[in-house]
Amino acid sequence: MVKKCWSSRKRIFVPVLGLVLALSFTLMSAPADARNIKVGIIDCYSGPPAVYGNDALNGFKLALEEINKKGVLGGKIEFTTRDTKFKVDIGLNLAKELVMRENVDVLVGTINSGVALAVSDAVSKKEKIPFIVWISKDEKITGAAGHRYVFSTADNTAQGGKAGGVGLAKKPYKKYWIAGDDYSYGHAIADSAWRNLKALKPDVEKVGESWWKIGEPDLVPYFTSIMSAKPDAVILCTGGASMTNALKALKSTGMAAKIPSWIHTAIDHAVLKPLGAEAPEGVMGTIQYLFYYPETPENKAFVDAFQKAYGNPPGFPAFNAYLTAQYIADGFRKAGKIDKEKFVDALEGLKVKNPVGGTVEMRACDHQAVFPMYFGVTKKVPQYDFVVASDVTTLKGIDVLPTCEEIKQSRKK
Amino acid sequence: MFDLGALGSQFFVGLSRAMILFVVCSGLSFVLGVLRVPNIAHGSLYMIGAFSAYSITKLVAGPAGFWLALILAPVVVALVSFVAERALFCHLYQREHLMLLLFTFALSLILGDLVKIVWGAEYKSIMAPELFNGSVSVMGASIPRYNFFLLLVGPLVAVALWLFTNKTKIGKIARAAAVDREMVGAVGINVSWVFAFAFVLGCFLAGLGGALVAPTVSITLGMDHNLIIEAFLIVTIGGLGNMWGAMVGSLIFGLTQAFGVLFWPQFAIVFPYMAVVIVLIWRPTGMLKSVW
Repeated sequence: MVKKCWSSRKRIFVPVLGLVLALSFTLMSAPADARNIKVGIIDCYSGPPAVYGNDALNGFKLALEEINKKGVLGGKIEFTTRDTKFKVDIGLNLAKELVMRENVDVLVGTINSGVALAVSDAVSKKEKIPFIVWISKDEKITGAAGHRYVFSTADNTAQGGKAGGVGLAKKPYKKYWIAGDDYSYGHAIADSAWRNLKALKPDVEKVGESWWKIGEPDLVPYFTSIMSAKPDAVILCTGGASMTNALKALKSTGMAAKIPSWIHTAIDHAVLKPLGAEAPEGVMGTIQYLFYYPETPENKAFVDAFQKAYGNPPGFPAFNAYLTAQYIADGFRKAGKIDKEKFVDALEGLKVKNPVGGTVEMRACDHQAVFPMYFGVTKKVPQYDFVVASDVTTLKGIDVLPTCEEIKQSRKK
Repeated sequence: MFDLGALGSQFFVGLSRAMILFVVCSGLSFVLGVLRVPNIAHGSLYMIGAFSAYSITKLVAGPAGFWLALILAPVVVALVSFVAERALFCHLYQREHLMLLLFTFALSLILGDLVKIVWGAEYKSIMAPELFNGSVSVMGASIPRYNFFLLLVGPLVAVALWLFTNKTKIGKIARAAAVDREMVGAVGINVSWVFAFAFVLGCFLAGLGGALVAPTVSITLGMDHNLIIEAFLIVTIGGLGNMWGAMVGSLIFGLTQAFGVLFWPQFAIVFPYMAVVIVLIWRPTGMLKSVW
């Protein structure tokens, strides 16, 4: 009985082996002169952050479709993905594996700032591999911890906070309360927003702060206590799943109607869409990409193509990733050959097509992509069954970034 | 500095948070008491309850969907737990606690991935019926209406659970099995099925907690881990396996958090945990009598 089992397995094994051999021969015999550019993507494709990881990947794929039709230096851009599971050690190992074993030409990723900073330092800087960060928002990536081989197409906390500060400075509020997730992202946004607001409008006053643990399910007690302190406005520094909790609590406590609040990325439709009509109105937010604004033909074409391919409109990670793909393609085209040093040189100051129209420059001094930020207020509109940003004002990219001088100072420390 | 309105609103809000914690923790405590299983997957079942509630409200629109979800989501969770109990847990009751801890932890990871496969990774959200939307002004402070509903449900669950364990035959058997399972077996009762029933009931409460919390939060992967640590702390300070202990623990946790936020907002996170430390120093086995 046992013997029979074995022999039947062998019978399958032989043709399978044949097939594998045949396949590997055909692959090996493919022409190897114009080589493809290999991009290694490390990002989180499991757990809650996967929403953003997948959106970015879709934006990247969409851009590649167009790019690969034309080709880059006679070849194509190909990519391979690795799931970091939102863990620094795993992300670091995967990045090393992509560089050592897969010989990727460029590394791209990731949503986790910890992973981005670790890979930037231990892999990109050490092995001299270009690394383009596309979602994580830690300002250290292209700020204090920046170096020759790291680039960012993501907005960062300095930028997000500054956008909030610039936007809020135009409002009449004087007494502010600051609250948020008690971890690096929350504090970084709060510091940047408050610093910039205070610089532009010295008479603002901070009446109090509250910080909750990341993932805190019930923000109602926090908001009721803020309401009893009666500030003019609130700077809320939260993101991810806590953002939804915050918006729900803003609505259920009635705080949204009583005290204006600003939350960076509150107008992100990935956050607003699941809430549908129950999202609060009147919440101020900032973001670098909205699929419905500005209403340019370019943006419409981008949204239509994305919608057709993936069934939903693009979010800001898709926007960042679309830029990333173009930087890789145009960077190598400008470099003239697949050479990492030439590629880095080529990227500095390179301008690529912005999917909403115009161009986006890769600032040479800190390797940060410069794009505008949109400041808007949540509102119900008849066209959509979810709340969107209204009264959108555009803040110029260069106005919401730290200056090159500030970057230099931060890197000296 | 703090007016009555602020104190009052924090009290109500903390109390209503405590009610959700109680519903979940009473289930965890029941399973701990009767089965002696520290079920880490209890949080996952709570998460499945919330996700099921989401699916049910998607199928049945309007307020009817919410009420149906409140009844059916715990039933879905009970079914899942029934399968888990008969297929897995029932073979493991004799193992030591560390093994059970590892096993239920593994199960929580598996259930987490199952939720991702079934519902996807996106945030989900459901709406409470119109009746509970908005807020009520009490002494100048506004309190969400839904929280009042929670204040009603918590005591209801407590009374129902008390009646069940004290006034019904199966409840009494379950309590007896918690104290001495050999003796219960010796008098001719099928202990295995008593355990299955107790486990399913405990998990039903996890599902109910998930359905109750669903309209107030973002329904997302990871909500299980946030809850389970708090839940274990609560049943520990309350007294392992004691239902009223779960109530006391939940009240301590919910109220210290709500008042901590008011008095010292920068460091509000530490207050409930400080309370846990103090309780455990003062009464190492919990506030009320532990059945362990």
